[in-house]
Amino acid sequence: MILEAKDLNYYYQDGESRRFILKDTNVSFEKGKFYTILGQSGSGKTTLLSLLSAMDKPHTGEVLFNGQNLEAIGHETYRRNKIGIIFQSYNLIPTFTAVENVLIAMSITQNELPNEHKTVAYNLLDYIGISRDKADRTVNKLSGGEQQRVAIARALSTNVELILADEPTGNLDEEMEKEIIDIFMNLAHEHNKCIVMVTHSNDIAQQSDQTFYLKKGVLHNHE
Amino acid sequence: MNFFKRGLLSVTRRLGKSFILLAVLFILGNVIAGAISISQATSNVEKNIKERLGTAATVELDYEQIEELDESELMEIDFSSVGTDLIKQIGELPYVKYYDYNATDYLPSEDMERYEGTAGEVDFGDDMIHFEIKGVNYASILDFEEGKANLIDGRVFNDDEITNGSPVTIISKNLAEANHLQVGDTFNLLNQVYDYDEETGEESITDSRDVPLEIIGLFEPTTVNTEQNNDDDFHDFMDGEYQNTLYVPNEMIFQESQFAYGLDDDLSMDDMYLSPIFVLNNAEDAEAFEQETLPLLPQYYIVHHATDTYENIAGPIESMSTLAKYVLIVAVITTILIIGLVVLLFLRDRKHELGIYLSLGESRLRVVGQIMTEVIIISIIGMTLSLFTGNLLAQTVSSSMIESNSSQEEDFYSYTELDPQVSSTDVIDAYEVSLSGEFVLFFYVVGMLTILLSTLIPLIYIVRLNPKKIMM
Repeated sequence: MILEAKDLNYYYQDGESRRFILKDTNVSFEKGKFYTILGQSGSGKTTLLSLLSAMDKPHTGEVLFNGQNLEAIGHETYRRNKIGIIFQSYNLIPTFTAVENVLIAMSITQNELPNEHKTVAYNLLDYIGISRDKADRTVNKLSGGEQQRVAIARALSTNVELILADEPTGNLDEEMEKEIIDIFMNLAHEHNKCIVMVTHSNDIAQQSDQTFYLKKGVLHNHE
Repeated sequence: MNFFKRGLLSVTRRLGKSFILLAVLFILGNVIAGAISISQATSNVEKNIKERLGTAATVELDYEQIEELDESELMEIDFSSVGTDLIKQIGELPYVKYYDYNATDYLPSEDMERYEGTAGEVDFGDDMIHFEIKGVNYASILDFEEGKANLIDGRVFNDDEITNGSPVTIISKNLAEANHLQVGDTFNLLNQVYDYDEETGEESITDSRDVPLEIIGLFEPTTVNTEQNNDDDFHDFMDGEYQNTLYVPNEMIFQESQFAYGLDDDLSMDDMYLSPIFVLNNAEDAEAFEQETLPLLPQYYIVHHATDTYENIAGPIESMSTLAKYVLIVAVITTILIIGLVVLLFLRDRKHELGIYLSLGESRLRVVGQIMTEVIIISIIGMTLSLFTGNLLAQTVSSSMIESNSSQEEDFYSYTELDPQVSSTDVIDAYEVSLSGEFVLFFYVVGMLTILLSTLIPLIYIVRLNPKKIMM
């Protein structure tokens, strides 16, 4: 078990009443699998991902990484060394090139990486489908699909086992979506990574190893 | 790619915004550099002029306080000078390098010519030319020790001559040449006793005697007309007066006064008006010297330092110095606010980028470090450019300010017992805006502290950033 959420509750206080976004959520993830969390807009998918990525804290309950509470690890340290995050809007730094965006993540992490950061970054981008020529372009000169590939490369560059993705194919066409999903499948099955992806697409959910369905803040196993 | 390199790249990749920040910093840097330049130049003038004024001090009546007294209080004041015992007691204080006290008299001569110098002839109203004889108690002569004049021939007094009031003198080289005299020669002054008829108002000479003086040394003033003072009548007059001054022992003046005024034999030197001069070890001792001397002095006496004259002659410079200090304070506060707000505005534009760093696990301290790096790089460029232009600006502004101030003010000349002979013109001449190492260092220290303070507001913004709200 690489990641586990126990009795997570997240709500907004509205006077004396509470509006629950997540209620008594329990879920666990293993390495080598590609998970999807399915749900409609406003179902709490992104909130759950923000708790799993330590971008926010649950009101009650805990998140454990390899059995250790995220509070004990430290939120910054957890994001820096334990996970890679991929966002729907890519979240790359537009003034930097693709390879520089990858290098930034590599310079932030404290994980052990090969000495030749730049070579590793180019190789990683190449593996993910970004040529050397494109790697040296500022990211705003790349297409949406290419930018998302750069974001995936950045998430992988820190040599982490867990990748959290927030609707990473939301802005891409079907063909590009398929390519990205193939990359995730490959990372999970061939490279023993744990991929947790939030989506509202049933098609994507069907391709994953396991899907959780989130409805009105309550998480169910999807049949 | 650490935060420093990221900062460096950000500066070069966002040239437009970097240029805007650079322009703002350059403009404000000019104001700060200009204010510091003027401030430093004025403090250099103060240092320079005070050095020229020297570390001498005297004790004298406080005329400002006396002017405020009514007639009955005035009658009670003893206007006699401080006695030799008190002068010696003050002279023994550890702050005093050496001291002297001077009795002064004016005696005529029938056969001596006055050195006219460049000041022109002085009209004495009768046939007799009077010479100032300046008594000394310090055998080596304090004026020579302090560099007012140099002994160029002969010798100074010895202790016996000082004690006995021997008829020996040291005169200026020019006066000697005007009278074809040299060391070893003797000339005569005349000591006349006058009687004043109260009924007729007429003055008659009742007795007189020759005062033969042997020349033992010749001096030359070091303040002889400099080129810049050639058109300065006051300097010419003062120089002429000094060149016609004869140094003699105090005791000799006392003996001649006894003859002239029929003084009793039991009267002493203390009954004469003596001007004490104390030369201090260094300027920093002035306050301590004053603190220890004041309790020893009779009522209505104060300590007067040669450097006190500076306040009177440095009007234009002082007003400029004050203005420069205010400008500096205002410029620093303005810079803190403007740079703070400009950087904050730019950071709001880059909120997304900052959120990315935080979502990747970058510490807030390093994000702050990156922003600081960017601001400091641009600041150093802006400050370095404004260092030179601000200095030039200060030169132009201060020149026109001095010109306008000096044309409005009467030139003030000091003429006190301390005799520093420094005028407002000397002060203005000493004013120079320069690109000194001290200025450069001070400018960078003030500039960098200002920039660091100005980044405080943006830093608070970064610390409060919530990556979830930005990214999700």
